[in-house]
Amino acid sequence: MIELQNVTKKFGGFTAVDGVSLRVERGQFFGFLGPNGAGKTTTIKMMTGLYEPSAGACLINGFNVRRAPLMAKRHFGYVPDQPYIYDKLSGREFLFFVGGLYRLEADDLRKRIDGYVALFEMEKFIDKRAEEYSQGMRQRIVLCSALLHQPNVLIIDEPLVGLDPRSARLVKDTLKRMTRDGMTIFMSTHLLEIVEELCDKIAIIKDGKIIFEQEQTATHSFDGQLEQIFLEVTK
Amino acid sequence: MRELVLVLNVKAHILLKNLFDGRLQSIIKNLSSFIIFGGVAVGVFFLSRLSTMYLIQEAHIGQFLYHRFLSMLLYVFFVTVNLGNMIVCYATMFKSDEVKFLMGLPISHEKIFLLKFLDNFFYSSSTLTLLGLSWLLGYGSTYSMPWTFYFVAMFLVFLPFMLISGLLAVLFLMGLIKVASRVGIRMLLAGLVVVYLLAVYLYFRMTNPVQLVQEVMKYYPDVNQYFGYLDAPASRFLPNHWVSEFLYWSVRGEPEVALPWFFILVLVMLGLMIAAALLAQKYYYTSWLSASDAQALRITRNGPSRLRFLQLSRPGRLERQTDVLLKRDFWMFFREPGQWLHLLLMSVLLMVFLVSVSSLELKLTQPLLQTTSFLVVFLFNGFLVASLLLRFVFPAISLEGEPFWCVRSAPVSLRKLYLYKLLVSLVMVLAIAEALVAASTYLLRSDPVLLRFALICMGSIAVGLTGLNLGAGAYFVAYKEKNPIRVASSQGASLTFLASMSFLSFSAMIVILPLKKYFDNLIIRGWLTTDWMVLPIVLVGVVSLVVFLVSTGVGLRALHRDL
Repeated sequence: MIELQNVTKKFGGFTAVDGVSLRVERGQFFGFLGPNGAGKTTTIKMMTGLYEPSAGACLINGFNVRRAPLMAKRHFGYVPDQPYIYDKLSGREFLFFVGGLYRLEADDLRKRIDGYVALFEMEKFIDKRAEEYSQGMRQRIVLCSALLHQPNVLIIDEPLVGLDPRSARLVKDTLKRMTRDGMTIFMSTHLLEIVEELCDKIAIIKDGKIIFEQEQTATHSFDGQLEQIFLEVTK
Repeated sequence: MRELVLVLNVKAHILLKNLFDGRLQSIIKNLSSFIIFGGVAVGVFFLSRLSTMYLIQEAHIGQFLYHRFLSMLLYVFFVTVNLGNMIVCYATMFKSDEVKFLMGLPISHEKIFLLKFLDNFFYSSSTLTLLGLSWLLGYGSTYSMPWTFYFVAMFLVFLPFMLISGLLAVLFLMGLIKVASRVGIRMLLAGLVVVYLLAVYLYFRMTNPVQLVQEVMKYYPDVNQYFGYLDAPASRFLPNHWVSEFLYWSVRGEPEVALPWFFILVLVMLGLMIAAALLAQKYYYTSWLSASDAQALRITRNGPSRLRFLQLSRPGRLERQTDVLLKRDFWMFFREPGQWLHLLLMSVLLMVFLVSVSSLELKLTQPLLQTTSFLVVFLFNGFLVASLLLRFVFPAISLEGEPFWCVRSAPVSLRKLYLYKLLVSLVMVLAIAEALVAASTYLLRSDPVLLRFALICMGSIAVGLTGLNLGAGAYFVAYKEKNPIRVASSQGASLTFLASMSFLSFSAMIVILPLKKYFDNLIIRGWLTTDWMVLPIVLVGVVSLVVFLVSTGVGLRALHRDL
């Protein structure tokens, strides 16, 4: 479960996120939308401990990211908007490194890495150094690294950028299956059709404030109208 | 030319915006930079005045010999600027994203070359330029020179001298990259190290300072006359000789003899600039492509590792997080040729230093001279340790780089990460510093009391310097900079180095009088005492501890900043 309580982030005199409050229930797939510079990535960075909120609190499964960062970080996996990984390590080495940071047991870790390598079809490049990787390859490695410790909350910032159609389908299917298994997903994206296809709930942020929030159920679906809604509320 | 002016204008705008962005933190940072740089400039000014007055008025070595010593110092300076420009040049002119961007625009290659050369020159030589100009001010004021001298000496003699060194470096590197595609980068870098060491060795063999002093001193007290016939013929072709000749004839009040040297410098600089533009027009793009190819070649040659126990997939005996951090840093270091090659080069320089100390035959009988010789070698040890720290410990936090998100978002305590880096740095630096000081002190003078004193003091200083460099590296962190050399030559790094030098000088001030007392007792009275050691050791220890704790506190706070 994810909870944002009146979260604010100021950079000098500029307020990037202004009193945002949200709640994403266990097993929910949450879509976080907004125009460029609206405050999506800043909000996510506060949720993952990369930014310190100027006010308010981010809670992951009840743990305050600021006050109990290590406990909170054990519960979520994070996929950043830019998939930076160490150029001098291979993808497999990077995954072992991340697994080590989460103190995963070596044999178990090896099995999980092999599983994800097969799932995301990375056999051809996983043992090459990352300096040779394309954006899509890096994206897949980073997604695997976020899933390695089997978190029950996944925070993803633009997960499908740079992926070819086949990989994008693979990622979408994986995310869907994980939500069915009880994982909570918080996803920021500009791809409205993906949101319509995957998300149970959406929120739109503009100028640092939530301006729209709605759930999507079998009876209340966006039904191809999300683009229209987005354009209207962000006018 | 319009596009060149446009790019320079944008760069100047960015620089000014960074300097005067109005934030309190920036104001404090800029103010402290100004104070430290200004303080060092004033220090160099007075050092220049004092050393000139001492050598001319107290030691009576004469104007000719003094200016030949200057020439030698300028040669070392020239090589340092040249090496600094060459090291930074590879990153600035051949690997930078900005060059990739500019190469895609309709701008001629020689203009990109010129732009990046200026970028490279100011980045790698600004601190040395400041030191040189402060030194010239001190020198001129000692001789009460008119204002025209300062203008000509600083801007029309010293700057062309620096530019010649920088231009030669980038031209040399451009040629080397062309050759590298045929002989291989490793062979080439090994050759480069040998060439630089040979250049320094041959110069001092050719100029033979000891023989020069003996020859000039035969004429004592008429040592102010011109002994130009004693100069090695080849030395007359070197820019350091031209500068020293200009200075010599200027202070003798004979500008008509000084001016030709000034013209030579300016003409050579202009000639080199034209040659650089022509060569860049023809070869910059192809050498840039060769550098990109060489990088691609290196990637495809990546083979499986034989050091199985250091593989990330094999858990070691250390705690799991520490184990993977250590292994990651190991591979990141040894898979980056710029890192291990620099370590190799610095190790060679340490060896050269030790061999030089072992060949010193100091039959000194005066306590003051004994104190001075011991302190000079001790401080040089400190200088080498500070240089190593600046190059390898200062960038340690910045090297976490843009992938730092994966550590920051994982359940890793940042305090633990910082302490891990501090501990690894301390172990390495202490081992090197203690081995160096033990070897040099023993080689200089096999005195067990001095050896003990030097070991304890250098140990304390190394702890302080390590804390300072890691803390300052975290404070001036540059996660976006991939090249550790550029991190270690940034403005923050220059400030840290100057702070390290100030710390070393302060430590020297603490130990100088007790050391003099020790040599007084030893040489004049024949007493071998140890009680004098306590106070300086405690004082150096306290100062080091304060530097270490304050820097660590600053570093830890900085590590928690927004990413």
